[in-house]
Amino acid sequence: MIQASEIETELLAFLRRDIFSPDTNLTPETDLVGAGFDSMSLVKTLLHVEQKFGKWIPEGEITGDALANTRALAATVARILNES
Amino acid sequence: MYSTPDTVKFSKMNLTELLENSARQWPDKTAFLEDTTEISYAQLVEKISAFAEKLKTLQLGTGARVGLAYPNGVNYVALTYALWKNNFVVVPVPTECPPEEISEIATEMELSAILFPKALAQTEPLTPEIFVSRFLLATPADNHGLNIAFIRFTSGTTNARKGVVLAHETIRDRVLAANKAFQISEHDTVIWCLPMAHHFLITIVLYLNVGATVVLARHVTAKPFLEATNKWRGTVLYAAPFHFSLLARDNSPAQIESVRLAVSTTCALPQEVAAQFHKRFGKSLLPALGIIELGLVALNSEDPQGRWNSVGKPIPDFQVKIVSPDEHGVGEVDVRGPGICDAYAAPWQSRENLLRDGWFVTGDLGRFDDDGFLFLLSRKTAVINLAGRKVFPEEIEAVLDKHPSIKESRVFGRVHPHLGEVVEAEIVLNAPGASIENLSHYCREHLASYKIPTRFHTVQTLPRTAVTGKLIRATATT
Repeated sequence: MIQASEIETELLAFLRRDIFSPDTNLTPETDLVGAGFDSMSLVKTLLHVEQKFGKWIPEGEITGDALANTRALAATVARILNES
Repeated sequence: MYSTPDTVKFSKMNLTELLENSARQWPDKTAFLEDTTEISYAQLVEKISAFAEKLKTLQLGTGARVGLAYPNGVNYVALTYALWKNNFVVVPVPTECPPEEISEIATEMELSAILFPKALAQTEPLTPEIFVSRFLLATPADNHGLNIAFIRFTSGTTNARKGVVLAHETIRDRVLAANKAFQISEHDTVIWCLPMAHHFLITIVLYLNVGATVVLARHVTAKPFLEATNKWRGTVLYAAPFHFSLLARDNSPAQIESVRLAVSTTCALPQEVAAQFHKRFGKSLLPALGIIELGLVALNSEDPQGRWNSVGKPIPDFQVKIVSPDEHGVGEVDVRGPGICDAYAAPWQSRENLLRDGWFVTGDLGRFDDDGFLFLLSRKTAVINLAGRKVFPEEIEAVLDKHPSIKESRVFGRVHPHLGEVVEAEIVLNAPGASIENLSHYCREHLASYKIPTRFHTVQTLPRTAVTGKLIRATATT
């Protein structure tokens, strides 16, 4: 059972490092799409999750709600990972 | 049938004239919808004129090459046309590029300036929404007498990064040819989701030429894409298989009844995506073959369900031949038609020199079936296609090989069921145990994020040919 908080920490580190510019002050509550998260960002994030946790998160599971912020994204990823 | 270099040299049209014609014909029609903002054709032309006046103050000479490092949006479009209006050459610079790559592009393409949407080191403000970084060139870039509109990077046929040079007339010719297949008109509304730095000519320029409306929104997920399609009664979707896969997996009841044309481009359409999309929406995805050196070559509008893995028949005015076919009819795909690129930049290679007996050599292997449908089987080149973005192995290898712990590298694509391919690299270390701890950080500093390998494999040696010692290129592996 992977905790959503563990995934949130991992995703925040990844998004800060690989997706957003250093001047984006990304917090768990920052609106991802509003901060510039686009479809290529989604590709890179799903690839990172696949590499880190060994499972591809189906694109269709990533709804607008899942991209509300990093906390919501982590909760979605945790739910899917824990289903398997 | 298609432009010769001589007609290009002497006709000297400008693509802004096509847009201005549209604005005269449909002044009040919406050209772009972006979030809650609408801009009509007349307003777009006004915006372009205002930008063009500002750009004039840069006092760059006719034919100066200017980089455009903007995100998708109306400003991207308006600045492109404003640069053209001043007879400057537009060189798209993807916003993902790190500073070092931008600097390389500026040098290789002999840019006089780059436009950015925000202040960066060594930029000066031109307007609150345009910041300029200027470069002093010892001699102006040589455009070889061509009326160049656009230079864009591609792999070319030898895999090295090249700038594809396109004159205004060439772009006009390919846009007119492509629309014989798409049949897009002022009655169409296009739902847009691709990066403009990678897709602009047989798309945005074509749509504006015929008075269509383009909806720009943040379609990161299926829901807003479907909402935009239904809210604005979108009739045309033009996207990569990745985007269609997102839509096909949507589990809401939303349909897309207004859509009459859904074109899948940028990489091979997986059967699963084609089938899922059809099942979900009752509409077929039309596979297309677009090549930056040529424009739209083929579109499968006749049998996308039965022959989902065919790019269809060549569009009107285009000819495709299979060179030296084997016993199964498989050979190299060569193409000729309207709007073949005018040259490669850096090093300059004229159209005559890049064609073989008047035909463009695509680097694809393919065959025709008995009904004239073209099937592409594999690329002879090693270009990697990650969710619709092309990645050139040699460019990444050049960066990896400069890492202090790496002796040499080989970059290749690994087939990914959802993304087409992903980038991976084999590396040979300088010494056993040499540190590559900082390799990811190093890559981030030197490469756009989508080009960074997702996996590094440490190997003892790289495969090379016995006779010449040339690196053996891997085609996509599973």
